[in-house]
Amino acid sequence: MKNTIKNIAALFLIFIFSGSLANAQGWTVPNSAKKKQNPYEATSKNVSTGKKIYNLHCKSCHGDPTIANMLPLAPVAPTDLGAQNFLVQSDGEIYYKVNKGQGAMPTFEKTISDEDKWMVIAFLRSFDKNKKVKQQVAEVKNPEVTDVKLELNVNEANKTLLAKLSGVTKKGKRVGLQGIEMSFLVKRSFGYLDVSGEDPYTNEKGDVKVQFPADLPGDREGQVNMLVKVTDDDFYGKLEEARVVTLGVPTDPVNPLDERAMWGTRANAPIWIIVTFVGGVLAIWSVIFLVLFQMIKLPKLAKSKD
Amino acid sequence: MKEETSNNSRRKFLKSFGISVGAAGVVSSFSLIGAAKAAAKKPAEMVNLLTQDGQLVQVDKNQLRPTVNEPLDELQKRGREGIPGKSFVMVIDLSKCRNARKCMSACQNHHQLRADQHHINVLQMQDADHTAPYFMPKPCQHCDNPPCTKVCPVDATFKRQDGIVLIDNERCIGCRFCIAACPYSARIFQWTEPKDAEKYKDLTYNIEANVPQKKGTVSKCLFSADRLREDKLPSCVSACPNGVYYFGDRNEDAVTNGTSGETVRFSKLIEDNAGYTLMEELGTKPRVYYLPPKNRAFEFNGDLLNEENLH
Repeated sequence: MKNTIKNIAALFLIFIFSGSLANAQGWTVPNSAKKKQNPYEATSKNVSTGKKIYNLHCKSCHGDPTIANMLPLAPVAPTDLGAQNFLVQSDGEIYYKVNKGQGAMPTFEKTISDEDKWMVIAFLRSFDKNKKVKQQVAEVKNPEVTDVKLELNVNEANKTLLAKLSGVTKKGKRVGLQGIEMSFLVKRSFGYLDVSGEDPYTNEKGDVKVQFPADLPGDREGQVNMLVKVTDDDFYGKLEEARVVTLGVPTDPVNPLDERAMWGTRANAPIWIIVTFVGGVLAIWSVIFLVLFQMIKLPKLAKSKD
Repeated sequence: MKEETSNNSRRKFLKSFGISVGAAGVVSSFSLIGAAKAAAKKPAEMVNLLTQDGQLVQVDKNQLRPTVNEPLDELQKRGREGIPGKSFVMVIDLSKCRNARKCMSACQNHHQLRADQHHINVLQMQDADHTAPYFMPKPCQHCDNPPCTKVCPVDATFKRQDGIVLIDNERCIGCRFCIAACPYSARIFQWTEPKDAEKYKDLTYNIEANVPQKKGTVSKCLFSADRLREDKLPSCVSACPNGVYYFGDRNEDAVTNGTSGETVRFSKLIEDNAGYTLMEELGTKPRVYYLPPKNRAFEFNGDLLNEENLH
């Protein structure tokens, strides 16, 4: 008896699962949409931009591509977007699905710009084993280097930051590394604020110059915690430089409890309230006592009249 | 004769000693009985724990109790003072809210509230007959000119230096003046024994999370002040799956999105999206900013016919 119930339950579960699977696969994309091609080339610049956007908008559910560490959602878990069976789809198909969404997958039609969506697709394509050869177009080729160094120069007068990325070639010569994206981050309470600007890629000398925002608050002395790093760890491993720089606008935090206000607790009550209240209480009690004293005097008055 | 009395007294002594030891044993075993009872209720869920001497043991989940290390005095003192140099603000992007209600359940979980009690509530809004309806999460606005703290007769609710408005259950007398004064209906009253009152009765009161909740007192949103102390975002902010919430420090002019973790300039976010505050005509100066529900990427799926849902 128990077994039959178990069997029925199992069958029921299988039924539900197969239903949801069928649902996941039954994501029809119109043929016109399938034909769309990624208008952006799979340069390393675009791929790393795509990775950034992926980490912001996709990673929280889908996890890292090819790692399959997605959020275990039921009934349909998010797909590993770096898996080969996902990447067999055309660019247009992925683009359509990102736009429209289905079930727990939200639509990104208006939340991410078209350019950003294509960058993400370019990034995902970089995991595609079938297209790997094709995507090596228009990339800057840096020589093979060792001992990669990140140097940071801060110009406090102009509020500029100059980072230099260099490595030692096989011939023993230190050369600048070109076309590498850098991130200039300012530490805030709950995360890092990106102040890299539009084009934070190293030039042919390996330099990248960034203008620090003129109006970003720092602490009382204008100091901020700065973190400069190579955006993508995949190139040369983790390369970063953390430094306290005096580039922010000196800001004195205002303590709202410094002023007396109606909303303050007893300790912060406005003087006029304290004076009025205490005065009122004193006045009332003095009237009461006055009356009492007069009443005590009454019998004495009566005696003296006699 | 003499010996007998001494014998007697010894017997008496032993008796009373036995009783007192027995009583102590009973008292101390109450907790064990409680644990055993709890275990008897639902024996299924076992949790693996590593003991101090490195042994892996299986413990029933029902036997686990949250612990607080700091004494009450310390918690009250730092809770009243707040975090120096901070000025916390929240930004709620209405164009992204699709009524997932994850913020509400995370909040209720954190502050030990029942499902019908709200520190934060997602409301269905329609401003006029022919305007588009939208969802609006509504926590306490943590006003800079709070009407609620003005009316408290016992200094139980107060504003601290980082801008957060807190409530102290140790002082609250349950007069509910603050509930009447709040124009945003942000406060709730514990009419009955709170959820899991029995389970948390021995827990030290933490003013920054307002737990354990107490019957006959007022409770409200606290921006998860206990989490902020650990540099963590409030529960609702980190629980949102749709990127609705931004939270941060106005002194640093930066807010961080709870879903994507992206940090943006607060002033720019408000300026670019025409951010506003609720009922600014009252002069309450809220610390919760809203971005209008424009350009929404989904259809409104609420139920406006149900009068209960209308606000």
